[in-house]
Amino acid sequence: MTVQPSQFEIHPSSGIPIYRQIIDQVQALIVGGHLHDGQMLPSVRAMATELGVNPMTISKAYARLEADGVVERVRGKGMRILRPAVDGSAAQRLKQLYPSVESAIVRGRQLGLSDKQILDLIRKVLRENPL
Amino acid sequence: MNLPVIQAERLEKSFDGQAVLDGLDLAIAPGQIVGLLGTNGSGKTTLIKCLLGLLRPTAGVCRVFGEDAWDMSPATKSRLGYVPQEAELLPWMTVQQMCDYTGAFYKHWRADDVQSLICQWQLSPDQRTGALSVGQRQKLGVILALGHHPDLLVLDEPVASLDPSARRQFLSTLIDRVEVEQNTILFSTHITSDLERIASHVAILRAGKLAWFGPLDELKDGCKRLRLYFADGAPTDLDLPGLVRWDRHQNHAVVTVASFDQGLLDALHRRWNCDVRVEDMNLEEIFLEWSGAAEVPSTVATEVGS
Repeated sequence: MTVQPSQFEIHPSSGIPIYRQIIDQVQALIVGGHLHDGQMLPSVRAMATELGVNPMTISKAYARLEADGVVERVRGKGMRILRPAVDGSAAQRLKQLYPSVESAIVRGRQLGLSDKQILDLIRKVLRENPL
Repeated sequence: MNLPVIQAERLEKSFDGQAVLDGLDLAIAPGQIVGLLGTNGSGKTTLIKCLLGLLRPTAGVCRVFGEDAWDMSPATKSRLGYVPQEAELLPWMTVQQMCDYTGAFYKHWRADDVQSLICQWQLSPDQRTGALSVGQRQKLGVILALGHHPDLLVLDEPVASLDPSARRQFLSTLIDRVEVEQNTILFSTHITSDLERIASHVAILRAGKLAWFGPLDELKDGCKRLRLYFADGAPTDLDLPGLVRWDRHQNHAVVTVASFDQGLLDALHRRWNCDVRVEDMNLEEIFLEWSGAAEVPSTVATEVGS
């Protein structure tokens, strides 16, 4: 079972460049256990055709993933996942998560939710997404 | 660096003394897919026509594959494909005849390829072109421009009249071509979502010049809307590098900058000690910011309440 281009969800009109969306989703697939080391990413051509985006954009995303040590280029075969991308100290990883949590909390306050309600929701989401 | 495929240097074009293009510089490298954005009447079509030697510049020069656009050799012309806003078809010919007729002008016409595009894009070969709908005419115009596999394809609002599925088909044909042949494409459009899918570069035309030209990703990575919250009132003067426009309110300001980075954030903190919120913008929003922007950033009239 390898990953298919149709597993990627691209929003061209988002403020986030498409190559970043692809990088983020590859990393999410790895973290979520849907992509394991040794598996191949879809070819640039397959991705470009299926997602309807410029092939150079896909190449760029793959090149960045390669530079970040997430995948390696296998001659004549494509990009292979290297290892689960758990990089950096716990503090660094927490720092990465900080903005997402912050914006969720700000949104919660805007919706008039109490701290307890927000915390309960986070616990519920954690329960619904077991490791 | 490769020789630019298409180039304008200090290009000026006036009609009846009215300047449309005012000293514009542009250089498109091989393999780039450039989306040209501009409001109505900003001169997109004029720029395209000057670049292709269909209009004579008032001043400055345009080059295609290194040759003066106004005086191109037939060999260079044969490397070009152009889709005008309104396809010029001969109404008494059928779709097939129109293709054969156009093909006769080219040495390397790929009739089989044209055939399969006609089929893919659901045109009937035996229909007279005079009876085609606007969208069908546009499809045929694109097919006629692709038939000789041009190294440079220039399209003026190619998808304006196409329905969403035809647009996707059109885009995927372009994507195929680019992947295999590494050709260069310049197209003007209002539909920013199409541009976001396939463009490698974006050119924003404003006031007769390019307000911005560069990689799309760089634009999206760098162009951000900032909300600045000041403890003791917004400053009346905000000179930031790459400022596109800003609106000043009492205690906050909404600011659009072209190239946001950590350095700018630090500078903001240092200078005004303000709280900064950063928002991503999609191409449509970015385009609106650029095209709505005055040369000199103006403040909104909120002074009344202060």
